[in-house]
Amino acid sequence: MGRVVRHLFVAGCVALWLVPLYLLVVNALTPSTAYEGRPDWTFQGFAFVDNASTAWTEAGIGDSFQASLLYSVVCGTVAVLVAAMAAFAVVVLPIPRPAFWFWLIYSGTLFPLQIFLAPLFGLYADANLYDTRLGLMLVYVAWAIPFAFFLIRNQMTTMPPELTEAALIDGASFGRIFWRIHVPLMRAGLGVAFLFQFTAVWNDLLLGITLSRSADVQPVMAALTTLNNAYSSAGPPVILAGALIVSAPTLLLFLVFRGLFLRGITASAR
Amino acid sequence: MTGTTTPAPAAATAAKAPRARRRVPVRTPHRAVRPGARRGGPLAALPWALPAFAFVGVLLVYPFFRSVYGSFFEDNGFTSSYTGIDNYTRLADDPIFGRSLLNTLMWVTGTLLLPVLLGLLIAVATHRTRFGGVARLVIVLPFAISTAATAVLWNFMLTSDGAVNQFLRSVGLDSGAQTWLLEWPQNTLALIVASTWQATGINVVLFAIGLRAIPRDTVEAAQLDGASGWRMFWYITLPQLRAVTVVVVGMAVVNSLKAFDMIWILTKGGPSRSSETLALTMYREAFRLFHVGYGSAIALVLTVIVVASSWAYLRHQMPDTGWAKA
Repeated sequence: MGRVVRHLFVAGCVALWLVPLYLLVVNALTPSTAYEGRPDWTFQGFAFVDNASTAWTEAGIGDSFQASLLYSVVCGTVAVLVAAMAAFAVVVLPIPRPAFWFWLIYSGTLFPLQIFLAPLFGLYADANLYDTRLGLMLVYVAWAIPFAFFLIRNQMTTMPPELTEAALIDGASFGRIFWRIHVPLMRAGLGVAFLFQFTAVWNDLLLGITLSRSADVQPVMAALTTLNNAYSSAGPPVILAGALIVSAPTLLLFLVFRGLFLRGITASAR
Repeated sequence: MTGTTTPAPAAATAAKAPRARRRVPVRTPHRAVRPGARRGGPLAALPWALPAFAFVGVLLVYPFFRSVYGSFFEDNGFTSSYTGIDNYTRLADDPIFGRSLLNTLMWVTGTLLLPVLLGLLIAVATHRTRFGGVARLVIVLPFAISTAATAVLWNFMLTSDGAVNQFLRSVGLDSGAQTWLLEWPQNTLALIVASTWQATGINVVLFAIGLRAIPRDTVEAAQLDGASGWRMFWYITLPQLRAVTVVVVGMAVVNSLKAFDMIWILTKGGPSRSSETLALTMYREAFRLFHVGYGSAIALVLTVIVVASSWAYLRHQMPDTGWAKA
């Protein structure tokens, strides 16, 4: 590619990518009373706080935001811990048929969510878990485990087995070996897995709209969808402010932990 | 996937040899603890795997088989009766299912052409340029805001008096202004474009990492042989990016088959179910129309397509045959 063509191409792409982001910000700032039914291309005011608080309280994003924060943090942590234990069992410990266990747990990532939905709905209705925070948390943990397991397992295979052998000779128990050797040495890997699963749970829509209904249980993406359906009544500035709110946590994590994210992406691509 | 059950003594000696980095997802674990050697034998490891197994088994594996079983029933959520393969024969005659398959195919094709090709081009164009990093950051930003937020934003831009039409009219392309989301096939195409906006960044990042891994010697040797520009790209860069390309294409196919959020928020599969893909059709049949058994049958079809295509693709692409043979 010639130099000029190359730079023009990149500049064009950057512009194409920036325009929607720009429109998002500009229109989320427009006071909803000043919105005239067509997108604004220039700043019309700085009413972001008003729009955001309308979305937060009246449209119910606030409740869902707190619920989603709970789901993402708790489920991400639990899933990473459970996955790390399973990886420890499959990689380090003398479990029979490690390949079977690997595929059993990893298979969860291969299938589309749709294949689980109808039975999960039935199961949840029978167990009184439908539309409860506990129910969503259980399924998010289960859903987050396979990929976290995959990431952690890949990293654990690179740890020298001599470490474990030495600890065993010193008389350490499996629990001690796991908590004192593997967990501290794999902090970065566990962090990557947590970031990925936090993001995945935060971004979930399908499980949320299938297994919950009330505002304080529904995850935040489901709440954003509800708000979007009320397009005419809420008005675009409020909806876009809502979109900005729900994007804030993952955007922040991405900007702060860009290196870890990229490591995770490359690890998952291997 | 071989070698994971290698007996421990062999693995222990193998671990002494210098370890090569491999690309296969399943690597031979170098077992530190010999089975049965001490601490309660092989069963001592089970408690460590059991929590993961319990979660995945009860909430994913069991529902999977239950779903397969349920697809042989006529089930409206209240009563169900065994109907054998009726649900599957119904699929063949259902025009909605046909449209849905066609849309799914458009998604797969579209997400292969646009995000993969654009990702490759942008990665190559920004490689080792001064503002390349900034450009890549801008393009990967939509990846960090969720699909749902992206969909809301594009909904705002694609409505009839939205930003896209506004722009087209302002530059005099009035005929180009469309009711983007209200007619097939442009609603599906518009959705694919919106999805491209979000998904390209991650491909740019992956290709950029692949480009950085190309050994300098290879490039220099090719330069000495007089390769440059297009020939360099085609004969040196592209073959070296093969491993990354396999992954990017594989992910694009699987993700486009599973695509739900974007379509659900922008069109709900409508109008009159014209923009549904298999992922949407299943949801609508099972949870809006209460055709649970029929929905399960669609879910199984989708699953078979997803698993079969990723398996066939990886099997075909992963062995280290040349790019040309692939």
